[in-house]
Amino acid sequence: MIQTLILGVLLGGVYALMASGLTLLFGVMRIVNLAHGAFMVVAAYIAFFLFTELGVDPFVSLVVTMPTMFLIGVVVYRTLFPRLEGSDRYSEMTVLLTFGLALIIEGILGYVFTGIFRSTNPSYNTDAFLIGDLFIPKGQLYGSVASLVLILALWLFLNHTKTGYAITALTQNRTAAQIVGVNVLRTSTISFGIGMALAGAAGSLLSYLFTFFPGQHWQWIALLLSLIVLGGLGSLAGAVVGSLLLAVLAAFVSQWLGSTWSPLTFYLALFAILLVRPQGLFGEKEAV
Amino acid sequence: MVEVAREPETSIEPPRPKSRRSRVVAGVVLLLLLVLLPLSRPVVGPTFHYLMQMATIALMWVTLATSWNLIGGYAGYISLGNNVFFGVGGYLAAALLVYQGWSPFLTAPLAGLVGLVLGLIVGLITLRTRGPAFIIATVALLLMAALVFDNWELVGGANGLSLPLPGYPREWARVPFYAGMALTALGSTWLSWKVAHSKLGLGLRALAQDETKAEVLGIDTRRYKIVAYALSAVFPAVAGAIWGYSLTYVRPSVFFTISIAAQMVLMAIIGGRGTVAGPVVGAILLVTVNEVSVARFGSSELNIVVTGIILIIVLLFFPLGIVGSLRQRRKLPAFLDWD
Amino acid sequence: MFLRVTDVVAGYRSGPDILNGLSLDIEEGRTYCIIGPNGAGKSTLLKVIAGILAPRQGSIRFRDEEVGGLRPDELLARGICFVPQDPSLFPKMTVRQNLVMGAFLEKDKNVVKERTEEIFEQFPLLAERANQAAGTLSGGQQQILLMGRALMIRPRLMMVDEPSLGLAPQAADQVFETIAGLNGRGITVLLVEQSVERGLNVSDWAFVLDLGRKVFEGPATEILADPRIGELYMGKAPTIE
Repeated sequence: MIQTLILGVLLGGVYALMASGLTLLFGVMRIVNLAHGAFMVVAAYIAFFLFTELGVDPFVSLVVTMPTMFLIGVVVYRTLFPRLEGSDRYSEMTVLLTFGLALIIEGILGYVFTGIFRSTNPSYNTDAFLIGDLFIPKGQLYGSVASLVLILALWLFLNHTKTGYAITALTQNRTAAQIVGVNVLRTSTISFGIGMALAGAAGSLLSYLFTFFPGQHWQWIALLLSLIVLGGLGSLAGAVVGSLLLAVLAAFVSQWLGSTWSPLTFYLALFAILLVRPQGLFGEKEAV
Repeated sequence: MVEVAREPETSIEPPRPKSRRSRVVAGVVLLLLLVLLPLSRPVVGPTFHYLMQMATIALMWVTLATSWNLIGGYAGYISLGNNVFFGVGGYLAAALLVYQGWSPFLTAPLAGLVGLVLGLIVGLITLRTRGPAFIIATVALLLMAALVFDNWELVGGANGLSLPLPGYPREWARVPFYAGMALTALGSTWLSWKVAHSKLGLGLRALAQDETKAEVLGIDTRRYKIVAYALSAVFPAVAGAIWGYSLTYVRPSVFFTISIAAQMVLMAIIGGRGTVAGPVVGAILLVTVNEVSVARFGSSELNIVVTGIILIIVLLFFPLGIVGSLRQRRKLPAFLDWD
Repeated sequence: MFLRVTDVVAGYRSGPDILNGLSLDIEEGRTYCIIGPNGAGKSTLLKVIAGILAPRQGSIRFRDEEVGGLRPDELLARGICFVPQDPSLFPKMTVRQNLVMGAFLEKDKNVVKERTEEIFEQFPLLAERANQAAGTLSGGQQQILLMGRALMIRPRLMMVDEPSLGLAPQAADQVFETIAGLNGRGITVLLVEQSVERGLNVSDWAFVLDLGRKVFEGPATEILADPRIGELYMGKAPTIE
């Protein structure tokens, strides 16, 4: 039982990293990024390439994937999103826009890399720590720790830097932020970049934790979207708590019913939260 | 006293505006086309089979797009999973055929009903939230359905069910499916038109503009949304029943893919979300473009790249779609103005 | 001329023009009240000057510089600040943090600290609740916080949109007391206020708007007695000056 719990928590940590970028994008800019999973997979391919061609460890690849995805994020945001500004239905438009992006990314990845399942395979992927009866996979542990560090860094950034304040301000009240002089365009662009950088980090981790292929991003995005709705759209704390809870739950479901059904946990949890508390665990009533 | 009958000064009925007349003409022409198409066999010869198949596919997409429009266009709630109902209808009819021997042509209306009920239930749960969460829920719904049907032994899991051939004479084999789909498409378009011209339609448009204001005006937005969503499930389910039969097999990959969801949405948006004629135009247009591009370039991953690019371009530069943009510039030909 | 608005035309998104060629002049150091029936464009005018809405036509000159169309942060740097009608506090931040955000553009941390203490001195009410979440304050307290936050940047021109909206009379009194004291600090005030008497009480001069234009103006003390006011609010056609 504890074993399952631990596996769940370790996985939950990584999910939290993935979900945090997604929820940041919504919280700050009301963007529902359906392409988040696709971007993660792009980063995974980058990590894969670095590993197979240059022998770079996935953790080291973070140094490449994060800045690269940040830049891609800045470019994507500036080229596509400002045109939608001011629309009443901004969130819905971003859904369609990012939907299109996801399709494009999937297509290009499929064309370039074909649909073969890939994975990087560093040594710690198959090793584990043994503590008493408990089997702690090294790869998952490292991944979880890295995720935690990154989320902590994000939190510190948001609460102790000027740009961080600007981002927090935008999340809480857009007009107020404007009035006190926050440069909305610049702050939004940086936020988008950060969200993408987090996706990039997640992608590096993903490359060894899971096998991946171009079309896989739909499963990821559905899972992550469910997570952020559960946690409360826009809430970082919600993303973390929601991820941990659901990952643990899914681990148990996997244990009892087999791993095919574990994705179902997330979807059912989504519908359950919609029934009981539509704004999510940490969300506010009218925010949605 | 002798009463002298006098000619009234002006005729009581105002003269029929030209647009009304041309709309009726357009409708009649379309109906004639639909009826005459199957009879064109002697004229088109060997391509008849292909023509029937293409027409059936086009009509299927017209159904999907116009139905999606009820929730995605009129109400402004983007559903990325409406093809769930498409699949449920298909599987239901297939299962009834395989296990009970009932023809999908007979069970299609039942499929529609099941779609309605399912839409109601799903709507009741998912429409408790606004925009973004709703969209996410529909995506989850789609993937959940894919997962379930992929693993459900009763309906064959990932391999699906194989359906017995209907045993129609070879030359006319495609025609019944064409006819069924044509009726379905007509039904779906009629429903779309009916809703647009009803109190429901008015309320939906109001809440699409500003849901809070609509509520303040006393419109029961929750009820309207749910009704629209449930209605949007009916004809796709019917279409699914017919489509599965025409393929002679049902599989999760036939119905429950994101690609199908994307196409539905794209067609409605290109044609003009929120208009009656828009999805019809969009569906026919995209099916044609698809056919041409597959014939020229072959089907590959690049196909979805193109879909994505078109979606983004339309979204950024032509958000009102073809019919919507034309209408805004007052250049909409009357035969397309069905609103 | 401190602030000169000339023939400004403006509207929201792709909607109709709300301001239809509005012109007015503002001298430094006084308090101006903008009144007029609903839909006259009073809030819109403030939003245009504040940079939240860009003018479609016309010019806005502040101390001899054309500022029409500049962004809010650019206008703030020039000393123009805006206290809007909607509660634009950061609800989850504390009173202190909200104030600090008010001086967002100020780079020197010590200056920010100093100013925050100044504001706390002037508004003991805020000092008492320094570490409370802004969202938990009462309506009147929030308005005071909004103004305190606006003062953090030592503005030259402060625009206030319907400060007494939704406030109990006592709270509104407090707010207007604060507004009355602003001129003494060298701040020029442009005020939109639905409650005509209150607004005019703290003002030197009044502009009367209707249908997106200034229809007449005059000293605040005399404007109420002007018969045209009655016509305007009761619906007769005003004459445009």
